[in-house]
Amino acid sequence: MGWRTDSPLYSLTDDEQNKVAQGVWEGESLGGISEDNNRLPVPVVWLLGLTIITAFAITFPLWGQRPTADIYLEYIQNMDSPAVQAIATDAGKMEYLVNNTKDDSLKPFQERHPLTMDDLRMIKAQVIELHNQGLDLSEYTVIGDKVVLANFEGNVKPDGTIERKQPWWDKGYTIDIFYVTYFCIAVLIAIKRLPHYSWKPDHSIAH
Amino acid sequence: MLKYLFAKNEDIPQGSAAIFFAFSSIVWFVVGTGLGSFNAAKLAFPDFVTGSELFSFGHMRQVHVLAVIFGWISMAFAMAMMYITPALGNTKLWSEKLGIWNCFLWNIGLSLGLTLLWAGITSGREYSDFPWVIDLYIAAFIALPLAINVWMTILKRRTQGIYTTNWFFGAGVFMVTIVFIVGNSPEWFNLTGLSEAYMTWWFAHNVLGLWITPIAAAIAYYTVPKVTGNPLYSHRIGHLHFWSVVVFYSTPAAHHLMSAPLPEWLKSFASVEGVLILVPAIAFVSNLILTMQGKWHMFVENVEIKFTITGVLMAIPLNMQGGFQQTRAINWYVHGTGWIVAHAHLALLGFSTFLEGAAVYYGIQTILRRKLYSLALANFHFWFLLIGFSIYWISMTIAGLIQGAGKIYEVPYIDVVIAEHPYMIARWVGGTLVFTGNLVWLYNMYMTARVGTEIPVGRLPHEMAYER
Repeated sequence: MGWRTDSPLYSLTDDEQNKVAQGVWEGESLGGISEDNNRLPVPVVWLLGLTIITAFAITFPLWGQRPTADIYLEYIQNMDSPAVQAIATDAGKMEYLVNNTKDDSLKPFQERHPLTMDDLRMIKAQVIELHNQGLDLSEYTVIGDKVVLANFEGNVKPDGTIERKQPWWDKGYTIDIFYVTYFCIAVLIAIKRLPHYSWKPDHSIAH
Repeated sequence: MLKYLFAKNEDIPQGSAAIFFAFSSIVWFVVGTGLGSFNAAKLAFPDFVTGSELFSFGHMRQVHVLAVIFGWISMAFAMAMMYITPALGNTKLWSEKLGIWNCFLWNIGLSLGLTLLWAGITSGREYSDFPWVIDLYIAAFIALPLAINVWMTILKRRTQGIYTTNWFFGAGVFMVTIVFIVGNSPEWFNLTGLSEAYMTWWFAHNVLGLWITPIAAAIAYYTVPKVTGNPLYSHRIGHLHFWSVVVFYSTPAAHHLMSAPLPEWLKSFASVEGVLILVPAIAFVSNLILTMQGKWHMFVENVEIKFTITGVLMAIPLNMQGGFQQTRAINWYVHGTGWIVAHAHLALLGFSTFLEGAAVYYGIQTILRRKLYSLALANFHFWFLLIGFSIYWISMTIAGLIQGAGKIYEVPYIDVVIAEHPYMIARWVGGTLVFTGNLVWLYNMYMTARVGTEIPVGRLPHEMAYER
């Protein structure tokens, strides 16, 4: 197979093997078609690098996730209060609840996942029951009229169970990093086994 | 065709299988786009053909989709493989007879399958709608014989090297066979629920990613160097393209189910891989565009190059859309809207159709040694296809954005339907232009075969087509 490893970024093939490859390359007409040995243009290399970085950057789980039950807890705790009961319309009640939450850290999530009084009534009993059991409501997602354990798989907690919160990084990305790395290494090896791109085949030999 | 089914292999003229596949594919394209135009009319004009279950949208839609995928696109691929694979190996097709039987059984099976779908007998799974009996038939009598003929032709080649196109052809027929058999497993093993959903979209994604996209690209790798006379810009970029298709296109199936209760890590993994389909796309487009150096005048003058480069350029918006629309940030908005329908047509009616259209134009002239009957009609076909497709794609993209807004802001459904109506009419107009162009194409190629001027020995068809 004729390997050489003294200058791996230049070539992984010894001169003898390269000579054989060059002979086949120049000596054969593949149905009247020939191929050049140009390298990938440098701007395109940068574009590929940018693509790989973008692939990770844009797919971080920042957007589009389902609402968790904890963002509605305060609404539910307040929905039967006299102040809310005194309001005549559901729209007015909801507006009051939204404007009178105390925990500002949940505001962005509440704005991203608005709901109506009817929605609140449907999940009220489930949220209260989970809260009374002392469970972490941020591990539960609201899907329509159901409150269910989220299907995230985060860190292992001290009690041995898995954290069901959306992590900023999860094992899907870890697998991707290995996958992309192996791909880059394998393609580099395949390409570095070809004659170096400074060699230009003479197509007049076969054609 | 029938007279060759029982003839000796040696008595069958070279290229016969390719010609039968070529005309079959054009006829199925006419049928498929005709059905598409009919279905679009039903969406644009709700009172058009009502009262019959057989002609309801639910029955007709899947017949349109599978007629185009299995009839037009895949048969045009088979046509290209029947003449390009041996040409690149400086040899003959391994078995013309197998190719002719393959084409015959393909037409029979597809007609039967589409009739069942039309009658409402379906698996109910999008893109793999055929009932399991037809799935088995397709695996045994369509995919496998094609694969054997391609592999054996490559094995029996008279060259030491294997050109880039044949890597894709050889791998493509292998991958599509696996994808087809595994992807249809929910029917054979009665998988239900999330497993069924995942396998359905694993099939739907990979039939695009490991069959339609790479084989269409492989055709361009042949057409551009062959017709322009330029060497392929880079063998090395071909490696990058081939391996990145295999690695990155085979893994993102879960990105079709971003709202389903699949494990989130699987979605994250698939979503990154989904963006990385831009890697093969960049490799492919840059290699072909650079191969065109010094021959850009042919983009205007030559039918095959006009079709091919249009298809190559469509790979840019196609993969920009495909790469990013599946991320969580965008998918929540466009999922389940006409945007996706527009994207699917950009892949199948845009990118892929233009590339294989070139292969059919070039193949028929080369094999029959007949000059194109009418360049004017070919240009008519090109422009009707391009304008019709563009109207379709733009109108459905806008309709999809409207639907997305309606979905997110909980606009009453009927208001969204009313807002979309003008775009549904535009969709019908675009689809009908494509159908009309295809009718003209069928006529042009039929006349080419019947009365096209013979190409003298030593000349190539694309050198002759402009001497009329």
